[in-house]
Amino acid sequence: MQKLFAKSIKYSWAIIIGVLLVSVFFFFKMKENTRMETNLDKYMPQNHPAFVYSNKAEKWFDIKDGIIIAIENKNGIYNPKTLQIIKDLSKKLMKMHEIDKNDVTSLYTADDIVGTEGGMDVRRFYKRVPKSEKKLEDLKNSVRHNAMVYGMLVDSTETVAVVVARIGDNVFSQDFYKRILDLSHKYEDKENKIYVAGRPIVEGTLALLGPADMKLMVPIVLVVIFLVLFLTLRSIKSTIATLLVVFFSTLWTFGLMATVNIPIYAVSTMIPVMLIAIGVAYGIHLYHHLSLYIVENQNADKDAAIIDMLMQMWRPVSMAAVTTAVGFISLLTSQVYPIKYFGLFTAFGVTMAMFLSLFFIPAFIHVTGLPKVKRKINAEANSGKDELAYKFTDGVLKHSTFTIIATAAIVALSIYGMTKVWINSSFLDKFEKNSQIVKTDAFINDHFGGTSTINVILDGKEKDTFKKPEVLKLVNKMQYDVVKNVPIVGNAFSLVDFLDQINMVMHADSAKYFKIPDKQNLIAQYLLLYEMSGDPENLTKVVDYNYQKLNVTFQLKSDDSKATKSALAAIEKYKKDFEKLGIKINYAGSGYKALVFTDLILEGQIMSLVMSVFIVFILLLLMFRNLKVSIIGTIPILITAVISFGIMGWLDIPLNSTTALLSSIAVGIGIDYAIHFIERYRINSKLGDKLSASKLTMSESGKAILFNAIVVIAGFLVLLFSVFPPNRELGFLVSVNMFTSFLGTLTIMFLLLYKSNVYYEKNKGAKK
Amino acid sequence: MKTIKISALILLSLLMINTTGMAQKLTGLQIMEKVYNRPTGNDMTANLTMTLINSSGQERVREIKQYIRDFGSVEKKIMFFLKPADVKNTSFMNWSYDKAGKDDDQWIYLPALMKIKRISSDSKGDYFMGSDFTYDDLGDRKPSDDTHKVIGEEKLNGLDCYIVESVPKDEDYMYSKTVTWVVKGRWYGLKKEFYDEDGELLKILTLKKADKIKGFWIIADVEMKNVQTNHKTIMQLSNIKIDTGIPASMFTQRMMKRGVR
Repeated sequence: MQKLFAKSIKYSWAIIIGVLLVSVFFFFKMKENTRMETNLDKYMPQNHPAFVYSNKAEKWFDIKDGIIIAIENKNGIYNPKTLQIIKDLSKKLMKMHEIDKNDVTSLYTADDIVGTEGGMDVRRFYKRVPKSEKKLEDLKNSVRHNAMVYGMLVDSTETVAVVVARIGDNVFSQDFYKRILDLSHKYEDKENKIYVAGRPIVEGTLALLGPADMKLMVPIVLVVIFLVLFLTLRSIKSTIATLLVVFFSTLWTFGLMATVNIPIYAVSTMIPVMLIAIGVAYGIHLYHHLSLYIVENQNADKDAAIIDMLMQMWRPVSMAAVTTAVGFISLLTSQVYPIKYFGLFTAFGVTMAMFLSLFFIPAFIHVTGLPKVKRKINAEANSGKDELAYKFTDGVLKHSTFTIIATAAIVALSIYGMTKVWINSSFLDKFEKNSQIVKTDAFINDHFGGTSTINVILDGKEKDTFKKPEVLKLVNKMQYDVVKNVPIVGNAFSLVDFLDQINMVMHADSAKYFKIPDKQNLIAQYLLLYEMSGDPENLTKVVDYNYQKLNVTFQLKSDDSKATKSALAAIEKYKKDFEKLGIKINYAGSGYKALVFTDLILEGQIMSLVMSVFIVFILLLLMFRNLKVSIIGTIPILITAVISFGIMGWLDIPLNSTTALLSSIAVGIGIDYAIHFIERYRINSKLGDKLSASKLTMSESGKAILFNAIVVIAGFLVLLFSVFPPNRELGFLVSVNMFTSFLGTLTIMFLLLYKSNVYYEKNKGAKK
Repeated sequence: MKTIKISALILLSLLMINTTGMAQKLTGLQIMEKVYNRPTGNDMTANLTMTLINSSGQERVREIKQYIRDFGSVEKKIMFFLKPADVKNTSFMNWSYDKAGKDDDQWIYLPALMKIKRISSDSKGDYFMGSDFTYDDLGDRKPSDDTHKVIGEEKLNGLDCYIVESVPKDEDYMYSKTVTWVVKGRWYGLKKEFYDEDGELLKILTLKKADKIKGFWIIADVEMKNVQTNHKTIMQLSNIKIDTGIPASMFTQRMMKRGVR
């Protein structure tokens, strides 16, 4: 090894130039080939049964998410001006090439099913905007008369009307989003207020806001990390070299992704977060050791110092890196591709950070010279005692009982907190409570059935299942029940609503007949009648051609997972009743998929966490060849993960795809700290007794660990000032993870290491 | 002398042929008038099988017995559903008037309700019974509503055709244009393309079979395919009988209720 390092120092310039060349190569690869994946469907495992079914159902019934544009007129919407706005807006939306003409629904486009003398008519509510008082009054009455429109397209206060434009999964773009907003707000005037909401808008705003906020915050984070790193390393050169390692490893990682044609997913933005937290550590440990060496060997030769640093540190650095990388590779077990990629590429990045630390940093030092260590201060500190580290060691040992009890208490509290952790796939919850988008959503939810939807797909065994009165009556009952009993569900819509309305109209508008007919023949004949007089396209959205599959749409006033699950639970109660009739219940739609997806991510994350702890344990066993040490070494990981989830439970921070991934930091950092500390302790154990070895380890590794934690925590605390809540959560949780890793390693892990007498058992025996 | 006379006659007749040949250079409007006015007899009885096929390949098949009679200023049609079973005996009657601007009268009889209901539709642009045909597509649209232009001639399925492009005079009409392949001499369309408001191909009508019955060309099998939605409608006529003298009493509400014998 020494030969290798000595040789590599000779080729310092070659190494630096090589690193730069690779960086340039990856930079250009990134520039030409990097693309963001914005289609959320691409994130989901396409062969998972829930997604397969949902995607099929979306095709059968043309299920899409809707952009909801609400027009509010405090004096009521039944005036020529407001009706004109509804008409113009509808027509303009129909003309946009991203929107299918049939996908725009409003009072202007909707069909009314009305009774005429001796018959039934399906006709538009209005084509020309009604001007006279009488005509406006007529329109108002026909809307009140139609349960499929009243409360759906016009609210019950008659001051708000909506225009809904359904769009496909892949049409959303920044430009489209802007045009929709521009178009809508063009119609705003003194009397008519315009609101734009709906899942595509929320997703779109999120897609814009998150990265925009990050663009603003990341430079500040980097500046703070730079400054704090400088304060701890006290050398511009060392600071630059350490950050270059992080920078190059990140660049290479994203460069490699671009080279092998893997797009950047939302979770990929967590890769730099991981690489900053982990990559900085290697540099800090190396430089910390180097400065200690310089203090001890005032007149040491540059290359000798470098060689000593490498010889002492290559083992812990490479062991830490390999273990971390393997920990991340365990994410390959996830069913979700973006997470697999996240794990794989973070592992690559960590490995690169290791190689860069072991070869680029020495080369950099060789070329630029040793950092100027403030010898005096350090000399004093070292020749005397490293006061802080020594005191801390004494303190921990003195209060060992307290430390163990406190740890146990915190872990117990955290485990209790973990039970309160809930999963949330909501997009809306990621915004400030008082933001425009949340307010708009609340406004529309106040007036209508809800901005979110779940599609319940009923799957019958045979043709014409959904012409049977008993089946349709059960569907009707379920709709009524769920809307009535689940507060979050505002409305339901399916084939039964058509039949109720037709039946009533065919019986001289008698409200008594607003129900499902008792005979299948009559139902079939009504449907034929509707086909002959209405727009049969409307029916294809609620029932399939064979009347074997039915689509029931529930409107929800919230998209959070608790709300969605409460609706699903109420629907599931009907499962048995439907099964008796040979009908299966399935679900579809983007809200449902998001729910399943978040569960999947979490499941995979927990699985891989358990697995990585196990793998780490095995690796530690191979490296240290000591069972006790291996067990003790996994402690920082476990403590960090448990406390991290516990805090989330206590502070009501829900788990979502981003926060779940943060537990990976626990693995990456926890194992890093453990290995550095244990390895140094092992080496020091050969130099003296247990206490002095501990103190020495504390002042060497302990300090480096402290520096690493301080640097990363300081950097990520900056995110607390972000205007975007998810970024604030990220900053907070990264800091918490760093802090508990640091504290856990230096207190409880150290204590157990000390008490377990490892590395001293033989010595004792020998002395006897 | 005689030979001169004869040859003059031949020459004359040749010239005549030539001039009739000239006269056959019909305008687009003339061609479409011929199609619109092609005689099909006074009345027709037939079984209609209407098959609707959606993009997933699912089918809805309806069997109908239909009677049509032309009363001059009004064409009356009565249809009785035979299949599917749950709509059997449902009947539908349509009176279509020649007079411009006069809406059709339409009734439906629902046996399960035992009532005749009048139904009305907003426009001729409505689709017929959930099929891909609008009432206009089924032959109700008058040639004078469009501007026609012959854009070529072509042999299609072994038949000589005119290709006529028709652009509606009303700019808001559901089609921006249609292109029809009209069989020379027979005056029915062999193929027709419909373009939507944005000028994109929307539907293709293909004639599969035409029968010559009592000297009239009767279209017996057509397919309309919406290329944008991949929805398809096939209409097949069988048991076609022409000019059997269907009595006027056939086209009454009483008959609607009585059903087909």
